[in-house]
Amino acid sequence: MPEPADMINLGFLSDSERELILEVLRRDEELRLAEEQRVRKLKTELMEVKRKGAKRGSGRYSQYICARCLEPLTRLAVFSSQCRICNHHVCRNCRRVMPNDSWVCNVCAKESDLKKRTGDWFYDQRFNRFSTAPGHDLVRVSLKKRPASKKHETAGQTLLRSTEINQHLASAVPQPRQKNLTFHLSEKSGSITSKESFESRDEVWSRPVRSDTESAENASIASSKTETETESGRGTPEQPRTENQPVRSSPTGSHVSSTTAAVRADTVKAASANSDANTVPEVKPVNPSPELEVDRLFKKSVRRAPNPPEYVSTLDLRDGCHKSEASMGNRSRSVPGLDLQEDDHDDEEEEDEDIDRLVSFHKRTTASSSSSLRSSKSTLGSLMSIYSEAGDYDSVEVSGDIIFSVSYEEQTQTLQVFVKECHKLAFGDASRQLSNPYVKCYLLPDKSRQSKRKTSIKRNTINPVYNETLKYSIHRSKLFTRSMLISVWHHGRLSRNAFLGEVEIPLDCRDLDSPQEDCMALLPKAASVVPASAFAQYKGELVISLKYVPPKKPPTEKIKGKKAVPDEGGELHVIIKEAKNLMAMKPGGTSDSFVKGYLFPTKAKTTKRKTSVVRKNLNPHYDHTFVYKDLALENLKGMCLELTVWDREAMLSNEFLGGVRLSSGRGTVKIGKEEMELDSVGEEVSLWQKMMQYPDSWAEGALPLRSTMGKAKGK
Amino acid sequence: MTDGDYDYLIKLLALGDSGVGKTTFLYRYTDNKFNPKFITTVGIDFREKRVAYTATNPNGTTTGKTFKVHLQLWDTAGQERFRSLTTAFFRDAMGFLLMFDLTSQQSFLNVRNWMSQLQANAYCENPDIVLVGNKADLADQREVQEKQAKELADKYGIPYFETSAATGAEVDKAVITLLDLVMKRMEQCVDKPPAEPANGNGATKLGDAQPNEKKCAC
Repeated sequence: MPEPADMINLGFLSDSERELILEVLRRDEELRLAEEQRVRKLKTELMEVKRKGAKRGSGRYSQYICARCLEPLTRLAVFSSQCRICNHHVCRNCRRVMPNDSWVCNVCAKESDLKKRTGDWFYDQRFNRFSTAPGHDLVRVSLKKRPASKKHETAGQTLLRSTEINQHLASAVPQPRQKNLTFHLSEKSGSITSKESFESRDEVWSRPVRSDTESAENASIASSKTETETESGRGTPEQPRTENQPVRSSPTGSHVSSTTAAVRADTVKAASANSDANTVPEVKPVNPSPELEVDRLFKKSVRRAPNPPEYVSTLDLRDGCHKSEASMGNRSRSVPGLDLQEDDHDDEEEEDEDIDRLVSFHKRTTASSSSSLRSSKSTLGSLMSIYSEAGDYDSVEVSGDIIFSVSYEEQTQTLQVFVKECHKLAFGDASRQLSNPYVKCYLLPDKSRQSKRKTSIKRNTINPVYNETLKYSIHRSKLFTRSMLISVWHHGRLSRNAFLGEVEIPLDCRDLDSPQEDCMALLPKAASVVPASAFAQYKGELVISLKYVPPKKPPTEKIKGKKAVPDEGGELHVIIKEAKNLMAMKPGGTSDSFVKGYLFPTKAKTTKRKTSVVRKNLNPHYDHTFVYKDLALENLKGMCLELTVWDREAMLSNEFLGGVRLSSGRGTVKIGKEEMELDSVGEEVSLWQKMMQYPDSWAEGALPLRSTMGKAKGK
Repeated sequence: MTDGDYDYLIKLLALGDSGVGKTTFLYRYTDNKFNPKFITTVGIDFREKRVAYTATNPNGTTTGKTFKVHLQLWDTAGQERFRSLTTAFFRDAMGFLLMFDLTSQQSFLNVRNWMSQLQANAYCENPDIVLVGNKADLADQREVQEKQAKELADKYGIPYFETSAATGAEVDKAVITLLDLVMKRMEQCVDKPPAEPANGNGATKLGDAQPNEKKCAC
């Protein structure tokens, strides 16, 4: 009988062996994350193709028009125009001919293509095989509503997660026992074991046994209780973020506390009831009810839901219903969150949901792993650096140098950056002639938080002495493609951070075995690099609509508080409609996002606009209008509208999710004292121009989000 | 290496007795280098390589389309003590390099066992496998004859290659053949006529105890 990966007992391994294997698994994770990102991109493409065809799965449409482009078909063509997969009638232009001279419609072609490229063809078969194995069935029956992501889980992933979790526990020094116990309970889903057995390292590698959903739910409540009690008993105040760590590090997959399963069961009922009522196979606006249901359930029974299901349908393919048979019927009924009931579908339908699930699964793992590799230290520290990604920092004339060494420690497989000191730094706060410098490292090309390390902040000095070592756990062979970016920042306690300089050290040609101290002059930011890479990373999209209302024509629409002023200038209206496929920043794979807008050039913050926050949604609908007044059409040519999406983080700094910059794409604009190049590209330019070209009409578009708003300086 | 600029991620896995040369074989394939030292693999490891793959029609003509394939080549420990770990990784691979040592009769006899391990643990019962007899350069120490090995491979209906990680002979060919098999299977899986799965579906269904069961994809 096949032995599922989650039943391996690896207690026989020695510590060093385990370390080695762990390293392999981490590399595997890296590859997997890249793969997930790629798959997400592919998904979006498919969505776009589907959007274009307006026919739905109902088959009530005239068979005399093409289901894809809606062009009329000739009577004769109808007899030979049916796609052999989806049975829609399709015109010649919307077909793709296969190597064996048969053809399918372009959506079906795209779908099967996607199935190949995402590896779904493989995962489907594997899922099949192992779900029908006798031993597995028992587990399945007891845990019917397990998250479907299991299908894509690899052995490496499972193992890595189970070890990463325990590493976190080991490092959580102040209250290791309570945490161990707490997490242990929720992970084991009810089987309460003594602390001692958990602390023995062998146990760590063996995998938990599942139990039925009821006891799982109880266990989770019990675990929450345990936690509360122990914490209050000790009276130790704790950072909320650290406390969440153990759970955050594993929100996916099979064994993730079965509470999820318990809640899912209920949610499914709600969702399916919903779908039954919803027999009209038309696209509906987002129906919040399943989500609310979930929310309520979670609040009631689970304090720390590791895996709230509402984001399961993060990528909604509702528009794409194009199959007339049962296989697509289901999707046409889809409401957000409906694929929660995937386990209730009959087999055919499930097949079609795969891609949805795949995507949601990818979301989940991305969210989980971004936290899993993060050391708790870096989580607590600077979120300001995220601002630096957004280009939201002050610039000063760079000066001084930094003394450091980079070495690789074979024994622990860590790359170590020893930051010794800096000399003669620039003043981050020029007006007060002071600097509070700290040093930040990224192991490029990874510019995410996982790769960020920081020293402490030294107060009021331009010659700070750190003597701190920043460490990266990474396999040596991986280093050759990497480089180390060391930057120095001024920490502005109340004002913005200021960039004080950076150096980049390629690691491929550096002797890492005999560390020597280097003294390097700090350099200004490599501005030219920024625009090229800003779109390299897929961050989602922002859907907006622009309109220029010329002067002296009273606007026809009523927008809050704007009719009052009888101004002579024209107005720019910007509707922030929605964002799609945002990055998940919060535990549980969601984000609480809002959009901020500036119109440059500007004085102070008069052009700052914000939408309200849409909670727990990676595809939020804002439907919020920004109005900028007193604008002449000619002025717009030299202006720049910057929209940035942020994850709202109460008490802490908000996190940057992406942004767009709309302008003519030529010339420069003054921001404060700085000249900034109008670096808009593609649709950012075309949408802006369309707006100027057709006053009084809406120009709408979906713009890809930049991963950084770093500004290219004017020449 | 891990940027997403490729069309397919294909995961292959090498298995076989300890010391047959799985690690050196893969090292030769990815880096085109040979390491004569024997360093036993701890549990699992993997290497990566980016290759260009050109699809061919059944009649042998190329379709002209070339894809970028990112290969993840899993290396497994042959040692018995890691068995539970390594077999767990079998299910994540799309194709297999089943290796034995041409200078060791025992490693060849064990091919049979590895086959049954594969059948039990891979993603399906008849995954794509290539049989590889390694160390072909050590002609004077040879214990397994080509005919013998070929017969076994034919019995299983899989291709057979005699390779040498030391000289690099046939190494690329073995991997590319396997990749080709996997890519062909992928095409088949996706390109099946729609009626077929619907029929197969009812037949394989074993009752309501398997709400998760899905149709056989092939």
